Amino acid sequence: MGKSRVLFGVLSALVVASAASAGGSGTPGVTAKQILIGGTTPLSGPASAYASVAKGADAYFKYVDDHGGVFGRSIKYKYDDDGYDPSQTIEKTRELVQNDKVFAIYNTLGTEQNLAVRSYLNQLKVPQLLVASGASTWGNDYKKYPWTIGYQPSYRGEAAIYGRYLAKTRPKARIGILYQNDDYGKELVAGLQRGLGKKAKLIVSKQGYDVTDTDVKSQIARLKSKRVNTLMVFATPKFAIQSYSSARLLGWRPLVFVNAVASASNTMTIAALASSKRQTEGSISIAFLKDPVNPRWKGDKAVTLFRSILKKYNGGEGLTDVYNVYGMSSAFTLVDALKHAGKNPTRASIMRAVTHLNEHNNPFVLPGIVVKTTPTSRFPITQARLERYHDGRWVYFGSLVSVR
Amino acid sequence: MLLAVDWAGVAQQVVAGLSSGGTYATLAVALVLIYRATGVVNFAQGELAMFSTFVAWTLTRHGFAYWPAFVVTVVASFAGGVALERVVIRPVERASVLTIAIVTIGLFFVVNGAAFWIWSPEVKSMPNAFSTRPIHVAGVAFSISDLGIIGVSLLAVLLLWLFFRFTKLGLAMRAAALNPDSSRLSGIRVSWTIALGWGLATALGAVAGLMAAPPLGSFDQNFMQPILLYAFAGAVLGGIDSALGAVVGSLALGVFLNLLGTYVSWVGTDLRQGVALAVILGVLLVKPAGLLGTATVRSV
Amino acid sequence: MSRVLRVVVAAAAVALVLTLPHWLSDAKAAEFARAGCFFIAILGLNLVTGYTGQISLGHGALMAMGAYTTAILTADHGFGDLWTIPLAGLVAMAAGFALGLPARRLSGLYLALATFAFAVAMPAILKRFSGLTGGSQGINLFDKALNRSTGALGHVHVLGRALATNDFLFYLTWGIGLVLAGAAWLLVRGRVGRAFRAVRDSEVAAASSGINTGFYKTLAFAISGFYAGVGGSLFVLVSNWFVSPSTFGFDKSLLLVVGAVVGGLGSLAGIALGALFIQFVPSWAANLSNAPGAPSVFFGAAIVLVMILLPVGLGGLLRKLTEPLTRRL
Repeated sequence: MGKSRVLFGVLSALVVASAASAGGSGTPGVTAKQILIGGTTPLSGPASAYASVAKGADAYFKYVDDHGGVFGRSIKYKYDDDGYDPSQTIEKTRELVQNDKVFAIYNTLGTEQNLAVRSYLNQLKVPQLLVASGASTWGNDYKKYPWTIGYQPSYRGEAAIYGRYLAKTRPKARIGILYQNDDYGKELVAGLQRGLGKKAKLIVSKQGYDVTDTDVKSQIARLKSKRVNTLMVFATPKFAIQSYSSARLLGWRPLVFVNAVASASNTMTIAALASSKRQTEGSISIAFLKDPVNPRWKGDKAVTLFRSILKKYNGGEGLTDVYNVYGMSSAFTLVDALKHAGKNPTRASIMRAVTHLNEHNNPFVLPGIVVKTTPTSRFPITQARLERYHDGRWVYFGSLVSVR
Repeated sequence: MLLAVDWAGVAQQVVAGLSSGGTYATLAVALVLIYRATGVVNFAQGELAMFSTFVAWTLTRHGFAYWPAFVVTVVASFAGGVALERVVIRPVERASVLTIAIVTIGLFFVVNGAAFWIWSPEVKSMPNAFSTRPIHVAGVAFSISDLGIIGVSLLAVLLLWLFFRFTKLGLAMRAAALNPDSSRLSGIRVSWTIALGWGLATALGAVAGLMAAPPLGSFDQNFMQPILLYAFAGAVLGGIDSALGAVVGSLALGVFLNLLGTYVSWVGTDLRQGVALAVILGVLLVKPAGLLGTATVRSV
Repeated sequence: MSRVLRVVVAAAAVALVLTLPHWLSDAKAAEFARAGCFFIAILGLNLVTGYTGQISLGHGALMAMGAYTTAILTADHGFGDLWTIPLAGLVAMAAGFALGLPARRLSGLYLALATFAFAVAMPAILKRFSGLTGGSQGINLFDKALNRSTGALGHVHVLGRALATNDFLFYLTWGIGLVLAGAAWLLVRGRVGRAFRAVRDSEVAAASSGINTGFYKTLAFAISGFYAGVGGSLFVLVSNWFVSPSTFGFDKSLLLVVGAVVGGLGSLAGIALGALFIQFVPSWAANLSNAPGAPSVFFGAAIVLVMILLPVGLGGLLRKLTEPLTRRL
């Protein structure tokens, strides 16, 4: 098996090489005036809330185009609806690559969705850039999939921070976990265990929920009955809010750790409304982006820019939505990489650029965070700050921590 | 599995189950209503309830208190339901049940998409109808809200029963659903009774949504989909032609789901949906008309 | 329709299938191939719903059974992908048989719930037995090239001709689809088909004339399961040899019913149009606007409009259009 696989690898490389040479000299998707990139995002179906990740990026590209583009070329970002169904991701991606002839696939959303097209894109040597998912495989498996790179801090790394923090500050905690029962939730659970190290036995109960559940009342009641005093919420915003309100209905107030996907300021505001101010007080999370609602960033240049871009290019929608900030931050990094990919970028040169990032000036991430990669270290964002919810807002504490 | 029983924990799960079941119950009654009035199942029922909830949410954002918003929304939903029937269902009124079902699936997509389009996809939250302050009795916590929700669904059952039993209109609606052709001959305007049925069911759906959404803490445009599934299962379990059965079935389902998910470890949270539905199937095979439904006599 | 016309129509259908890829881009050929998978599954659904009168909201889950059979046998047991297609049909046939058992006692709404329960539970079941199914990440056969008939860039040699992958998949799905359509046609013409229709038209009458209604209902579900399984198996090939649980949510089952009813439950051409409808209309809808939710609005509106304007489905429209023609012939 092993030998024949190698043989096949060589053969397919030859096929690809001959196909590439037969295809002529021009780089797909790059003309004198424009660079065409594409990706998929859920515009319909259960995950439509994440559409802002593409919309924020798109608005930023339009802003860049109005300011001269990159080497005189505008960036056209074509994002198609996959309804969060991986089989549609495949179909839409194939259309983007083969019919629209995009330069690269960028910012496609979702773990399963990106896994579904990774082999295909790598075999065709089409870059799969800044994948919008925190699974650790994007950064870890680059030897097998050299044309793929992620963006955000990995879920595992994030939860490991909570684990290390708990092991140090609350060695007698009774930890309970509410997690989403899929890869996303399970990566967070695994990261927490890694961070706790020898203290992993502090975890007294793990309760999963399914995205199709109506509520998490049963799981929260179970965690309370296990006398948990430290609750890890590894969930999406909707279920994170529900865990606060269900805990309040039980008259239960544990210390809550809530993961970054579910801890945006506007989510926490709703959580406090749906439960009580006392219920959310003292919660802990991490952040790596500037949250547009956080008063800490009132008057900040990047947040002002963020608002003006959304007003001009997105009809003024999503001004409080941190997923839009994510999209802009990611778009900023792509533009930065394109500037380093040369006057006439090729698929190989953009891969070289995104694996040699050293970005000190990304305005959308927290001050001090450097977006940095090398060919062997492929997690662009590996820093974040711990934050504590106090008096209706997130307050950072401690210095930058490493999300590894 | 059930060796060391923690009774307070079990009781808490039962209460949590009743509380969840209460949110399915009102929608289940709405399904029963539309089934009795029109003989079809409305796949868009849950989405219409969601849409009404978003309308009420908008009102509460513009200075309305909960109950005034509730009343306005329920009345508007009634009108909306009648209008929807006139525009969309009327043209296929005499087509097969399957055709009408497909139209409601189409409506499901339209209403869900429209709600995303109008109100951005971020999660929402709205004030509660009843107090959610926890009350502790023998180590078990519950709230006025839990009781209020079940109370409202029972009230709906009572009102419907009175309506169908004692009003001329109610009797006409029942007759029209049972036998449209002879009802037409006896002067009942069948088409309008169906429209009325849609109006009532949509209004009741609004009640269901407005009961369900606030205590969840947060809701989005998809929050009614699992509730519709459980309401459907609860209604069928109770007997699709019995409103009281729908409430009993929904509450039983809520409790059963929780106990199953919590105490039968190989089921856990991931399989509880499937196992619960399989059990309902088992009940139906033994008692094909559901717990409280009337068996249709079929001689074979 | 006269016999001559029937031959002409069949020949035209075959000719259309043979020539279509020449006019299509590679990616479009793949999309038509995907429609072919829906075509096969709807053929099966039509046997249950159109001919036997039983509602099934669980055919998406039967497709999943077929899809995972192909994925597991190819990934873990060294089967060549094409050889698993009939096996996938058989596994889904067994599942269809089981799904048909409640139909012996339940009808209408109750049967709808029973089958819907199967559809709703399927993704959770697939995630639960992750040792076999790869959990929520699914199974990717793309890298296991040795067992695959072709690759993304490869060519397939059929009868001495080199075909691009997606053209090959197009011929494969629609070829199998036409063969299975022929088989279904033979089936419904014969004794079994008469029994199916008798069950649909009046169960009481069917039973009193000595037809074992329970047997025929279960049989319809089982045969239908075979079709859905084959459709699901091919779906894996068409989806870049990848399968994951979220592809087979309950919405796939609803979509298949929509396809069957929009197609008009009956004629072959109608079923093909139904399959094309559920394949292409959502994409068109997504092209109209990229506001979140907008694609759903347009797709839903298209369903409602078709049902209002053509209560007998697209197949009915086709029949009306061709009627003058057939009369002349």
